[in-house]
Amino acid sequence: MNKALNQKISQFLDDDLDVDGALYLLQKIQSDADTANTLKRYQAVSHALKTNQFLMANTDFSAKIIAQIEQEAFYLSPKHKPTITHNRKLIALAASIAVIAVLTARGINNPNPLSTLQVATQQHTEQASKSVNYAHLSGSNQEQYPLNKRINDYLQAHNNSVYTQGEADLAPLSRVTAYQQK
Amino acid sequence: MTVTKCFFLAPLLLSIVFLSADTALGEDSALITPDLNPSKTPAIQSGKQILLKMTQAMRTLNYQGTIAFLRNGKLEPMKYFHAANNGVEQERLLSLNSPLREIIRDADKVSCLYKAAQQIVVDYRPFERSFLIELPKNLGELDTIYNIDIVGEENIAMQLAYVIAITPKDNLRYARKIWLNKQYFLPLKLAVYNFYEGVFLDKALEQLVFTDMQVIDALPFVEINKPDPNNLGQASYKPQQQSSNQAGFTVSKPPHGFKEIFFTRRPLHKAQQPVDHLLLSDGLASVSIYMEHKNNALQSEATLSKNVQSVGAVNFFSRTLGDFELTVMGEVPALTVKLIAEGVKLKNAGD
Repeated sequence: MNKALNQKISQFLDDDLDVDGALYLLQKIQSDADTANTLKRYQAVSHALKTNQFLMANTDFSAKIIAQIEQEAFYLSPKHKPTITHNRKLIALAASIAVIAVLTARGINNPNPLSTLQVATQQHTEQASKSVNYAHLSGSNQEQYPLNKRINDYLQAHNNSVYTQGEADLAPLSRVTAYQQK
Repeated sequence: MTVTKCFFLAPLLLSIVFLSADTALGEDSALITPDLNPSKTPAIQSGKQILLKMTQAMRTLNYQGTIAFLRNGKLEPMKYFHAANNGVEQERLLSLNSPLREIIRDADKVSCLYKAAQQIVVDYRPFERSFLIELPKNLGELDTIYNIDIVGEENIAMQLAYVIAITPKDNLRYARKIWLNKQYFLPLKLAVYNFYEGVFLDKALEQLVFTDMQVIDALPFVEINKPDPNNLGQASYKPQQQSSNQAGFTVSKPPHGFKEIFFTRRPLHKAQQPVDHLLLSDGLASVSIYMEHKNNALQSEATLSKNVQSVGAVNFFSRTLGDFELTVMGEVPALTVKLIAEGVKLKNAGD
């Protein structure tokens, strides 16, 4: 029996074994440690005969690697970002100063300062026509204020949801104004 | 009749008496009292019965908790208190984030104290009863407009809750889901959804949710000092309900179920120019119609609002009507505000 099995191992290593025989052998290797060791021994002999060099690997080499990986600790906490070195800070500061210098120079040389304003105004108008952001009334948004003011007043009169929204400048202020005029 | 016969007949007679009383009061009345003992919770028949218990519990119990309002993409956490004693109620909200404020509702009076500015605003809102949810006193009003169903059970704030879906029978209103504490029938969460052809669309348009809630024996009633008329930082405004016959407009063919709830004519803006305000409601959703004279400022704005616009679940639509500017606003779909706006006509005009 062993002789037949050894014959199959030898054929397997020489790639002469048919598919069914190879499958049978592989199953046998998985279940039988002696057969697996025989395969390793034949493999080493074959390797030495063919190359005139012999490197004997430990039979439990891969098992040791697997065991070490399983025992390796892992951490759920995020890694610390590398601290920015002093040199990098200096480089960032220098780059910022350079950008400011370039922008300042362009501003001085700009013959038509109104063009920037016109673009900004146009963008503002487009934004206003798309939607009313009633929640952000501010001094920088004066052109939109009348409509928002009106909608705020309507919202305030419609239901009490304005009280449960944390907007500091909502309609209650308009009530104060109305009171002053009474 | 012997004692033995009485012993057997008494339970039978008692059963008949109880069954008769139950039938006479109708299906809803049997479940009016919130059950404070969960071990005795009766079998629940319908979502409508649960909502009825909710309205009763909201009025009669003392409870407090932390509530998060999510509207218009903004989260606003607040402390909530509801005190009830002998039929008198008080709701109180304390903001946890800036601007710090305390809001108190006593019946139709809402007082808001802005703590940093020491500003007090007193507002009278005769058409509202709760910061949490408005439901009609008679839930039967919703029968022809909404379906009310129990759609499941979930945990909210670590409390087991019924999930009630209120879905419209047409495409002209939003759907709502209410999560109700199974023990006390108090609302733990409320969400408003777009609903079209029987399907919930997208995420909730707005919602409020309790992160914790406790029912307790008693809560104190709190009072904010009356506004001082000599203090410019304090204001009080009380709109007078008037007959809608005084309105300068009529609403033709509003969506089914919408009725006139409140009308007043009063100044709303900085100027003393009066604004007509008519409030319609179908029992759950409300729509306001505002009409005021055009002025230069409004004319310049008209170009900004040719489409239906929205703030969270509230849609609004403006249009010009003769010499007037009309705005319809409400927590209903865009289609509905536009439909109502197009049905508004000036009185004494062939418009």
